[in-house]
Amino acid sequence: MRNSIDKVLSWGLVVLMSVMVINVLWQVASRYLLGSPSLFTDELASFLLIWVGLFGAAYAAGQKAHLAIDILPNKLTGRKKHILNVTISVLSVLFALTVMVIGGMRLVYLTLSLEQLSATLRVPLGYVYLAIPLSGLLIIYYTIVDFKPQEK
Amino acid sequence: MSLTEILILVLSFVVLLGIGLPIAYCIGLSSLLTLVVSMPSLTAFTTLAQRMATGLDSFALLAIPFFVLSGQLMNSGGIARRLVDFAKAIVGGLPGGLAFVNIVASMLFGAISGSAAAAASAIGGFMGPRMEKEGYEKSFGAAVNITSATTGLVIPPSNILIVFSLASGGVSIAALFIAGYVPGILMGLALMMVSMTIAIRRKYKRGSWESIGETFRKFWAAFPSLLLLVIVIGGIVAGIFTATEASAIAVLYTLVLAFIYKEVKVADLPKILLNTVSTTSIVMLLIGTSMGMSWVMSYENIPQEVSQSLITLTDNPIVILLIINLILLFVGIFMDMTPAVLIFTPIFLPVVTKLGMDPVHFGIVMVMNLCIGLCTPPVGSVLFIGCGVAKISIEKVLKPLIPMFIALLVVLMLVTYIPELSLWLPGVFGF
Repeated sequence: MRNSIDKVLSWGLVVLMSVMVINVLWQVASRYLLGSPSLFTDELASFLLIWVGLFGAAYAAGQKAHLAIDILPNKLTGRKKHILNVTISVLSVLFALTVMVIGGMRLVYLTLSLEQLSATLRVPLGYVYLAIPLSGLLIIYYTIVDFKPQEK
Repeated sequence: MSLTEILILVLSFVVLLGIGLPIAYCIGLSSLLTLVVSMPSLTAFTTLAQRMATGLDSFALLAIPFFVLSGQLMNSGGIARRLVDFAKAIVGGLPGGLAFVNIVASMLFGAISGSAAAAASAIGGFMGPRMEKEGYEKSFGAAVNITSATTGLVIPPSNILIVFSLASGGVSIAALFIAGYVPGILMGLALMMVSMTIAIRRKYKRGSWESIGETFRKFWAAFPSLLLLVIVIGGIVAGIFTATEASAIAVLYTLVLAFIYKEVKVADLPKILLNTVSTTSIVMLLIGTSMGMSWVMSYENIPQEVSQSLITLTDNPIVILLIINLILLFVGIFMDMTPAVLIFTPIFLPVVTKLGMDPVHFGIVMVMNLCIGLCTPPVGSVLFIGCGVAKISIEKVLKPLIPMFIALLVVLMLVTYIPELSLWLPGVFGF
């Protein structure tokens, strides 16, 4: 399960990132070579960045790549280290659950019910913001699955 | 008076940071705790989620993943090696020549890639073994490499200056970029002076000068890499394209160069892209949560109160700037650069502009302060990378780092109190 989620997530991110590069190159090319600036690239690029940033953050959480000051966790051993690890995992889940999943879902719901559309692409903004609760769920999933009870 | 809120914010942040929770979550949770005191929890959740989303919704921020990606593409070796060879041809004959080569190569690499981490690993990977072979102490070599890598954050293109532009509400990225040249070069020169003194005292081997023909050949080999600098910065300054578009062109250019040098294969691309996403999104999550925290602070009126108390404390601009510098140095030691810029810019920028300081000048001063923090424990990312590349423990590098810090602090003071150092060059280009 974990491996397939990793695979789907990383391939999705590689594709999104490639599209992002091509999209902005297309913007430059259309302005200088074709003489008519493309209208959608600007907005599409910003949306892609939100998706790459948030789903990437979930991927990075799975890789334990987020920056932290690990002086204390490295110093402790045994039971104390175990308690600290539990605390860190619980707090990580707490952040992802409250702000990202609950707050994010409410944000999606609000923008969808207000029928807010993006300026040029006319995409409902709620779908763009859907990345927040989804990546919050992924962060919770990774934190729980990766939690290994330590031998005392 | 929002003293309770300030206390909650600062205390919860420090505690969460101390127990080892990832920094982005620390920022998010302490903002949330502060906000829950003054509004219903559900509203607080939604507000922070919204700040995260709108914080990331910026075309200017797109330059960050692209500069990271082009840095990753350069990291594969070909470009770094050619820059090192070129630097060796121009400064290799000086006393402590290899230290000079490392500093110049880092500055050049920083000038085309904009990433201190990439400079520390790419240049350090070449220079470390060479320096050791010629009898330089490993810890000294690593210290030179670590400190000189940070010049790349002041010398454009620089992702952190883009973040500052965002935090300051739209100071021109082009102006910030040009403003970074003189201070960045001064940082390099100061490090060179320290290295030369140490090299002479320890009687390190002096390299030999190369013939003019050989120097020209090295220049020619490095020329395509150096041309990138002209395209990116020239393009932005001349107003041909935006920083974001320039960064995408840099990706295309380095990709082509990496294929020509046969150092990157198509099969390597997914891995390079994924590394880029990972590095970028760590920064993006920090940006998202920091934007939340910055919003919470202005909601609680914290910037106004800090600036009020700073101004009532003293009306001497020299003292106020000194205090701000000390706070930023302290912050840089414990906080990563991106959140530090996003959180402290809204607090200090109004104070310094009231004193008549140009926002461009302040941006450079702020980034220089935080650069020093990148080389100190416990969160100095460049320190970690530099030690990792040199395969040396952090404790061993700290002592040789001290004279370098003093040199950087001297430059910081010069740049703080002589505005022309940052503002003269942008003025020449009409900003």
